[in-house]
Amino acid sequence: MPYDLIIIGSGPAGYVCAIRAAQLGLKTAIVEKWPTYGGTCLNIGCIPSKALLHASELFEQAGHGLAPFGVEVSAPKLNLKAMMAHKDATVKANVDGVAFLFKKNKIDGVRGTGRILSAGKVEVRSEDGATKTLEAKAIVIATGSDVASLPGVAIDEKRIVSSTGALKLSAPPKKLLVVGAGIIGLELGSVWRRLGSEVEVIEYLDRILPGIDLEVAKQFQRLMEKQGAKFHLSRKVTKAETTKNGVTLTVEPVAGGEATTMSGDVVLVSVGRRPLTEGLGLKEAGVTLDERGRVEIDAHFRTNIPGIYAIGDVVRGPMLAHKGEDEGMACAESIAGKAGHVNYDVIPNVVYTYPEIASVGKTEEELKGEGRPYKVGKFPFMANGRARANRTTEGFVKVLADEATDEVLGVHMLGAGVSEMIAEAAVLMEFKGSSEDLARTCHAHPTMTEAVKEAALAVEKRAIHI
Amino acid sequence: MKDISCRLLVLGAGPGGYVCAIRAGHLGIDTVLVEAKKLGGTCLNVGCIPSKALIHAADEYEKALHFASGENPFGITTSGPVLELAHTIAWKDGIVGRLTSGVSALLKKADVKIVEGSGKFRDGKTVEVETQTGLQVIRASEIVIATGSAPIELPFLPFGGRVISSTEALALTQVPRNLVVVGAGYIGLELGTAFAKLGAKVTVVEAQSRILPQYDGELTRPVGKRLRELGIEVMLDAKAKGLDDKGEALSVEAADGRKRSLAADKILVTVGRKPMTDGFNLDAIDLDRDGPFIRVDDKCRTSMRGVYAIGDVTGEPMLAHRATAQGEMVAEIVAGEKRAWDKLSVPAICFTDPEIVTAGLSPEEAKRAGIEAKIGIFPFQASGRALTMGKEAGFIRVVARADNHLILGVQGVGDGISELGSGFSLAIEMGARLEDVAGTVHPHPTRGEAFLEASLRALGHPIHI
Ligand SMILES: Cc1cc2nc3c(=O)[nH]c(=O)nc-3n(C[C@H](O)[C@H](O)[C@H](O)COP(=O)(O)OP(=O)(O)OC[C@H]3O[C@@H](n4cnc5c(N)ncnc54)[C@H](O)[C@@H]3O)c2cc1C
Ligand SMILES: Cc1cc2nc3c(=O)[nH]c(=O)nc-3n(C[C@H](O)[C@H](O)[C@H](O)COP(=O)(O)OP(=O)(O)OC[C@H]3O[C@@H](n4cnc5c(N)ncnc54)[C@H](O)[C@@H]3O)c2cc1C
Repeated sequence: MPYDLIIIGSGPAGYVCAIRAAQLGLKTAIVEKWPTYGGTCLNIGCIPSKALLHASELFEQAGHGLAPFGVEVSAPKLNLKAMMAHKDATVKANVDGVAFLFKKNKIDGVRGTGRILSAGKVEVRSEDGATKTLEAKAIVIATGSDVASLPGVAIDEKRIVSSTGALKLSAPPKKLLVVGAGIIGLELGSVWRRLGSEVEVIEYLDRILPGIDLEVAKQFQRLMEKQGAKFHLSRKVTKAETTKNGVTLTVEPVAGGEATTMSGDVVLVSVGRRPLTEGLGLKEAGVTLDERGRVEIDAHFRTNIPGIYAIGDVVRGPMLAHKGEDEGMACAESIAGKAGHVNYDVIPNVVYTYPEIASVGKTEEELKGEGRPYKVGKFPFMANGRARANRTTEGFVKVLADEATDEVLGVHMLGAGVSEMIAEAAVLMEFKGSSEDLARTCHAHPTMTEAVKEAALAVEKRAIHI
Repeated sequence: MKDISCRLLVLGAGPGGYVCAIRAGHLGIDTVLVEAKKLGGTCLNVGCIPSKALIHAADEYEKALHFASGENPFGITTSGPVLELAHTIAWKDGIVGRLTSGVSALLKKADVKIVEGSGKFRDGKTVEVETQTGLQVIRASEIVIATGSAPIELPFLPFGGRVISSTEALALTQVPRNLVVVGAGYIGLELGTAFAKLGAKVTVVEAQSRILPQYDGELTRPVGKRLRELGIEVMLDAKAKGLDDKGEALSVEAADGRKRSLAADKILVTVGRKPMTDGFNLDAIDLDRDGPFIRVDDKCRTSMRGVYAIGDVTGEPMLAHRATAQGEMVAEIVAGEKRAWDKLSVPAICFTDPEIVTAGLSPEEAKRAGIEAKIGIFPFQASGRALTMGKEAGFIRVVARADNHLILGVQGVGDGISELGSGFSLAIEMGARLEDVAGTVHPHPTRGEAFLEASLRALGHPIHI
């Protein structure tokens, strides 16, 4: 019997789509080529990286952070194997959870690599080479993304690693060179710096964290430098040579000029991710890709071929797990004949470094680019009581509001634990709320979130505590 | 001393009073603030801030113990930690000092005149203050009473010697070997937990049949479990009777009627706080009361024209941010703005381990209000973020109207969720329905995703459970 829906890829976009479809009564199958479900996010992305970020932050605290509280300990010892075991256990609990949810929702999980033969037909090749063909009324492509590579720098996952290799190094490298100052590079760079590596970051642009509000990025760079990381901006890496003891990179100024070399024990290539569309039979099926190799879709996740949809990292928009999940949910609802919708203006973004960065909506640069007049309200954590009590006074909250209507257009935060504070701003923006709405909401004392209220008050220049 | 005349006089510089004065100053109102003790009131000096600093330090010490024993999943080991409580307290005092001097600077910047001394009503427009240099008479067209609250004393267990209030508990320079806490409300459990983590043997004596009686059992269960893990003995349905004959132990009548004598270096009495209505000749203006509190309307006006009251002196919930919000509002009303108390939610946080957060109505309160409610619960066991941190206790719970899905309340218990409470309040204030929260993208991986999942669950289709 044909399925109502076959999903290719079980990352956060695919598995959420499958669960929602099953809830809506669709007979659903999901094809996954890896041995476990959960995609990049659960296996080699968000979850293992956050497990290591949390554990390494504790390690750093044990080393430096306790004395001011009157707690003295000797220099901590690291058992990296045990720390990796914590990470692996966390991954396992998460991927087992997805397998359980598939069972509970009566979703057929199919192991193997999927390829679209035509609308309605998916061929699955299992590891032993056997193939079978599944049929469905609708197909969703949720194959996600893969590590982008750099010409001249061949990833071997030992000396020259991608994020995947960087999540399982067997010892902290003495010197780690990070190529690319995006979120993944800075997160994993932070992990290894805390565990003892010397870290240098090389970035093509003249700033770190492209896409993040520039003021936040600049202040964060200073904080990372204080922690000991070094940055080389406006530099491009053109070659990598692996030697017995490490790797030597050839680095050129982007503006032109003499090339230099830099050596490290391990190089992390984190220059972005690219949509994964190879071997899917898209060309044969006639599915159009856009100029950046992503599957082209309309507002309802439909490709140009009726009955074929696409969601997640493989389509336009930020490559984020929660964006994929929301698309998965909306796509399943559309296929089931309901009204599914994703509001791309309100997708929060988090960087899990120390301190964390969290943002939603427009940056100041974007608003200037659009020529949209706006007001700014800012409040530093230095003036926040809870931040003082926790010794986490770095950073600030910034609220951007429309000059005429006061509608909040963007909220940007740099500070400890701000990942848990940004959802409030997202809910507000879903309501097209104003800075006044935010300012008039009672914020609990003493919490870091009082800085959000104060920043909202500061939009009208009436903050209390500054 | 020359009399002062001003537009607005604020009596008491706690989070209610000092914020009211700053806001009034910003609005151009000529304002005088009178404080008998220290700027910042209970909250900054002997309440929220020092308690959270001590709780945080205790958490850090407990972490260090786990590092030392190697009993942590993270592969970190250190030598046994040494605690210098005097150092911890000095650090805490440093923070309090910086925050209170910050308040002083903010008041100056807002052009607020500060008069130090205990104030007393002469009549509804006049207050006299005993300052160090003599009696200062201040006449004001409007007066705000923001005198706050004080710990309740048990007649058979008066403060003094080893019987202490939260104020002295926050200034101990040595961890007591045996600490008995009388009263299992939030202040008692917050401090009891902190001292247990710092190494004290803690016993909690509570007259009612459960801990944290203001919360429902579902919310307090994870806290009760953790208290047991920390080796804290909780005696419920137990009555503290007074010191024993030697004055070194607390006599308690246990639930089964038997007498027990609990050895105690310190006995911390946290049986609630009472409004501060004494000592400033309140009788002179004879305001209407609401039980022990000063009665106010939705604009914080008392029964006498031109006299307002804000903060703990006006009743429950006795929380700093409620006092602050009232203070801001009154300043704006005095400045001629149209304002009234229309908050749907004042979030409350209990900084126990794990933390409890509440905003709006609980399932029980919704029921009592005659509202048919839908309830959605999402456990942190199913949260990726909780798993990465190895802290999976607790859940988030959403309460919504069954007919139109309007969110009435959000509660939760879990590690570090104090920072989620303001977001819950915002959703309630914006009139969010379950679908609105379900339709808002929450970042992954965060604990906040549990709010979205609880909303989905109330709608009947959660994803991750
Ligand atoms: C180190 C790292 C950290 C990250 N941290 C975060 C974070 O903190 N927060 C965040 O929001 N995002 C984070 N991301 C990004 C996040 O992981 C992705 O946005 C998300 O996983 C995309 O989901 P997806 O379902 O589109 O694709 P993926 O998760 O990439 O899943 C695609 C799945 O499809 C399978 N597949 C592919 N082709 C086939 C085929 N032909 N047949 C069968 N199966 C196939 C793959 O094996 C994979 O399981 C991180 C990424 C990395 C690498
Ligand atoms: C240990 C502890 C922990 C707490 N933790 C929290 C928490 O985490 N979150 C929270 O929201 N709340 C917490 N609270 C409660 C919070 O401290 C109070 O709700 C808040 O301080 C009330 O503010 P207020 O302005 O009404 O009064 P107060 O802060 O009590 O200030 C009143 C001020 O008025 C002064 N005063 C009184 N009479 C006179 C007079 N006649 N003349 C001049 N001055 C006078 C007093 O000296 C005092 O400074 C805690 C309280 C305690 C004790």
